[in-house]
Amino acid sequence: MNSATQDAAPCIVVIDDDPAMRLSCRKILDKRGYRTQTFEDGLQGLEGVERLKPDLVIVDLKMPGISGFEVISRVLETDPAAVIVVITGYATIDTAVEAMKAGAYDFLPKPFSPDELRIIVERGLERRRLMLEARRQELERELLRRRFVTFVSHQLQTPLAAVHQYLNVLRRLEDDPHGAARRREWYERCLNRVEEMLALIRNWLTLSAIEGQCLAQQRVPVDPAPIVASVLEECRVLAEPEGIALKSEPVPEGCLCLADPVCLRVLLENLVSNAVKYNRPGGRVQVFVRRVKGEVELTVSDTGIGISKQYLPFLFDEFFRVRPPGGPGKPGAGLGLAIVKRIVTELGGRVEVASEPGQGSTFRVLLPAAGAASAEPSLETHHAA
Amino acid sequence: MAGATKVLIIDDDDDFRASVRALLESRGFEVFEAASGTEGLQRLPECRPDVVLLDIMMESSSEGYGINQAIKWREEYREFRHIPVVMVSSIQESPDLLFSMAGEVEMIRPDFYLTKPLDVPHFLATLESAARRSRESGTQPG
Repeated sequence: MNSATQDAAPCIVVIDDDPAMRLSCRKILDKRGYRTQTFEDGLQGLEGVERLKPDLVIVDLKMPGISGFEVISRVLETDPAAVIVVITGYATIDTAVEAMKAGAYDFLPKPFSPDELRIIVERGLERRRLMLEARRQELERELLRRRFVTFVSHQLQTPLAAVHQYLNVLRRLEDDPHGAARRREWYERCLNRVEEMLALIRNWLTLSAIEGQCLAQQRVPVDPAPIVASVLEECRVLAEPEGIALKSEPVPEGCLCLADPVCLRVLLENLVSNAVKYNRPGGRVQVFVRRVKGEVELTVSDTGIGISKQYLPFLFDEFFRVRPPGGPGKPGAGLGLAIVKRIVTELGGRVEVASEPGQGSTFRVLLPAAGAASAEPSLETHHAA
Repeated sequence: MAGATKVLIIDDDDDFRASVRALLESRGFEVFEAASGTEGLQRLPECRPDVVLLDIMMESSSEGYGINQAIKWREEYREFRHIPVVMVSSIQESPDLLFSMAGEVEMIRPDFYLTKPLDVPHFLATLESAARRSRESGTQPG
């Protein structure tokens, strides 16, 4: 909120009717490099808080006029993320508990040492930072939600607009000397865009389905071997024109995982088709399955463009797509990995990625193995949910 | 005598560029392409277009606005400032609403705004009028 908070020294407001207390707090805090302002009663203190938007408020509970309790509730009314530390001369646990119930962050009984004040202030400021960060993320999510509609409609309209325009221009170029060749090429391009759009809608529906309920309808022992084989077969159509080799090792014994077979297929389809799409011509995609303790590990690695570190945190976000620097993006809406992430989470597993720009990426999915005792706790929570 | 009208298309959608190029070339325009905003700015000195056709949502959702603003206001593109910019987007929402919400309204308002898919006769008429404006302002000392 207070934009200065980010880079300037933290601002601390001290409200206490005792001049000696105000002076010593100020001395201790100034020495630590904080910007400190002191006020002698609740009313002035509230006015100061309003004006300075401090990172931390230290308030005496017992003051003439407006009490410390009232200061707490009024400060929190205007800034729910405010961090308030109370100091009290009649330090009974009861008053402290009351103040905490009213929303204070912590309390400091008088008399206190400079170090005690310093420690509680540092903790309070850390708390403030976390609260502001949480609030910023909440605002960001809200903004995203609002922009979502615009974004989705753009994603849906773009391929349609491209197809519409091809057809419209074709109609106007009827006596075009390159007509036949151009028509053939454009029909292909139109088909690609229509397929892209169908895939987008399909993925979109999948994600919406997961939003409301579990996509995984069951959790049964599944042998990944035939699914891997069939997904690789499916993706061969994509890979062959680019000269990309698809490889997998025979799946060893004991690699049954607890999953929904349909979900497992969707998950692998997304990972393998990405590995093909973001590969280089003549590259390679490898799929490995093995048992690692109580889990089954599925690894899909490619020799493609890789993902630079800065993008890794967003990789599993909806609509996020990696673009090669300077080049055009790959077709797709950026929903595939969001789907992977949700499926894996639902199945009580996890997904990790390691990547080296220009070298390739490796996605590693760990799912609970069938009959593995160590996987039970997370499964139970899922059943209960 | 004036040569063919030169149009620079800045759009990350290959298909959009391909169809507009074919249409414009069939109508006697000279067409240049750029697949990103940065590339578009880089190509300005070499192409010296009469009109820029600029997509809004490219790498970022408002990249086109930034490119338009650069052409119109950045000192290094001063000599291209007179070139009319026709902005295009598949978002149907009137850009005036967007622009009025932004602080620097006049800095980013495009000269023309069209929605995708382009209505061909309207698009061609817009380009003609933009090209006319370009030629007129380009001949003024400035």
